[in-house]
Amino acid sequence: MAAQSSESPVAGTGAGGDVAGKKAGNTRNTGPGRLLIAVYAVFAISATARAGYQILTKFSEAPLAYLLSAFAAVVYVIATVSLAKPGRTWFKVSVAAVLVELVGVLVVGALSVFDAVQFPHETVWSLFGRGYAFIPLLLPILGLAWLYRRRPSAAAPTPSA
Amino acid sequence: MDAYFYIILVVGLLSTIICVTAGILRKGPNDVTILSVAAVELALLVYLVGSIIRVALGEPIAGEAWEFWGYLITALMLPVGAIYWSILERTRWSNFVLAAVGVTALVMAARMNQIWY
Repeated sequence: MAAQSSESPVAGTGAGGDVAGKKAGNTRNTGPGRLLIAVYAVFAISATARAGYQILTKFSEAPLAYLLSAFAAVVYVIATVSLAKPGRTWFKVSVAAVLVELVGVLVVGALSVFDAVQFPHETVWSLFGRGYAFIPLLLPILGLAWLYRRRPSAAAPTPSA
Repeated sequence: MDAYFYIILVVGLLSTIICVTAGILRKGPNDVTILSVAAVELALLVYLVGSIIRVALGEPIAGEAWEFWGYLITALMLPVGAIYWSILERTRWSNFVLAAVGVTALVMAARMNQIWY
């Protein structure tokens, strides 16, 4: 992952302790961001594998649920990649992906609670991600908090960030 | 749940506890945390070799065989990736990345056991 970036030559100042000495351009994939990316990567892999398995072996049982699985997998992959990439454009992609993820887990979670008939089959987001220790619910919240703290406009001036 | 699962349970939990503790103490990844994750890899390799032997001896896998092997191979790649990453960035956050390996391996081993039996 090349830490080169075209923007904010002054950044790195705002990062505080543990990013010291890091190349400044991208402040999203260091420190806590690394942990976030790692967890997203695990979900991207497992959701992709699971959706692929469901669609290849038993798609006709519950097309809607399994398409949702595949959609969730795509969202996780985009979130993982965009969080790891430097630059403003990737920042926007990250925000979009994480927001979609948050809406997805809330909507699918609520639907699976109130309409168990339509959503009998498991997806990552069913029951707010209960099958995955509610990490799918927690992840977008942490993701948005992280993206907010490292938003491009705030990178330069705030030493307290 | 078989012995392979319990080995990974113990090694994985220990590794996660060691790495989380080191992360909380604001330490960067060091020999202890990296070796604990290497131990998880070793436990997974034991599972791999054991499973190959069992299949070779004719023991059937109850679930989808390719799903089992898919889980196992993916699990084997996690410690390698996490250690590589922890060498690239030597901050305490890398210890939390390392910590994630143990629990993830544990969950995957549980799933592998379900598929096998």
